[in-house]
Amino acid sequence: MKEKDAYIDYEPQQLIMYVEKEDGTFGPIQTGSYISKNYLDDFWAKMMSLRNSLLEKLKKNEITPVYFYKLIHDFNDVELSRRTGIPTYRVKKHQKVKSFRKAKLADLHKYAYAFDIPVSNLFQAIVVEDNEKKAESDELKQPIIVKQTRTDNPFVVITKIESNKK
Amino acid sequence: MIIESFKHNMAAHCESGTLNALLNYKGLEITEPMIFGLGSALYFGYLSRTPNLSFPMFILRTKPGKIRKKIEKRTDIKFNTKQFKSQDEAEQELDSLIAKNIPVACKVDFYYMDYVPQWERVHANIHFITVVGKEGDEYIVSDSYYPKLARIHKDNLRKARFAGGYLAPKGFRYYIESVPEAIDYKKLIPIAIKNTINNMIGVQPPFIGVRGIRTFAKKLQGWPKLTRDIDHLSHEVMKINVFLEDQGTGGGGFRFLYATFLRQASEILENKQLDDMAKKMMEIGDGWRNISYFAAKIGKNRELGPEKLQELGSMINERADSEEAFYKDLRTVVSNI
Repeated sequence: MKEKDAYIDYEPQQLIMYVEKEDGTFGPIQTGSYISKNYLDDFWAKMMSLRNSLLEKLKKNEITPVYFYKLIHDFNDVELSRRTGIPTYRVKKHQKVKSFRKAKLADLHKYAYAFDIPVSNLFQAIVVEDNEKKAESDELKQPIIVKQTRTDNPFVVITKIESNKK
Repeated sequence: MIIESFKHNMAAHCESGTLNALLNYKGLEITEPMIFGLGSALYFGYLSRTPNLSFPMFILRTKPGKIRKKIEKRTDIKFNTKQFKSQDEAEQELDSLIAKNIPVACKVDFYYMDYVPQWERVHANIHFITVVGKEGDEYIVSDSYYPKLARIHKDNLRKARFAGGYLAPKGFRYYIESVPEAIDYKKLIPIAIKNTINNMIGVQPPFIGVRGIRTFAKKLQGWPKLTRDIDHLSHEVMKINVFLEDQGTGGGGFRFLYATFLRQASEILENKQLDDMAKKMMEIGDGWRNISYFAAKIGKNRELGPEKLQELGSMINERADSEEAFYKDLRTVVSNI
């Protein structure tokens, strides 16, 4: 690849690309990500669409929170089982609405750890209406920030809703 | 504290970049392409049946960690490596190494590297960073994919080092104990190139090497049946671009990086034919880059019917043909060294 064709002006995501330079030598240049510069809006639109459609199903009790977060994190059953230490057959069971209500708190704690969320978020979806009008990537422009802070108690989290001062 | 003499640089690939930075810190001048080439890291594999993957994927480099292992086997560089069962022990040991001014490379789940933009963060237990300091509850890390030194909270680093799942890091870390005064490049380069040729056109399963590229072109036609909806298919097709360009390849699915290795090898060995092969590899990389552009475009436009997927498959098959011819020529060149 010629050096002149490799430069992408996109500061938020930089990467190193090896190119043929003007003088014919091969070497690295620092440039921006082509796909993020040109297609990031499409990525966010798809993620929002997936999240919203799953949330609708969750609200109608058609799917379980385990299934919801499994898709959001792009895990399959085996990977989720390995990450939580919960046997695969039980991971499958926990994705069925009828069986989820029998899940043990200890298992839910393991799921929450793998999904990098507080346990309480398996039972609630925090939605800030004004924020939804802004792109998910555009944190600076979101008027409200939701901050969740862990406590020493593994089952308790402090959720603070603040105005964005950035 | 921070190890002041450690020099942070971005690199094309996290594993070769981390290794490069640590070797340079130890006083061995070596380039990232040379590490990549000597580690015989160029590869192709189409993984459709790996139980841990939620969707088929292709890989363009050897298994994570293998570059270091090959370099260790082929040179006199001495590594100190360790995995841990206890998270506390891993953290304490890391702290004590940093206190001794030893930069430490750690294998981590990329998802927890919260200094990179949110859209980049995916669960992948194949990322390498170098820990070069600690201040309060934060570690200072050198990440090849980030322009400057970054900070990560100790809890996040702990999660990243002990994430479960496929290729779980299990707290793996390494540092370099000693480096030789010089490396016998003239001896090692042909060995490393032959290894790569074997990876690509040697006797391999049908999903590996050039045959793997053809398998990818063929199996791609069945992707619509594996996806939930058009958005999901679009997402997976656009990931072709990400795998080829953005996920630490140096562009063109590592082909530009390998071309640079061949150029450097030709200079060391004073071999004009190797330089010609370097130029050909650059052109092959351009072909892969065209594939990545095309995949991004049809994914965004949701032009994902059989015709477009066949067109994409044909482009991938062209790469297989070019690469097969390339490695056959390269085999002839190397056998004459």
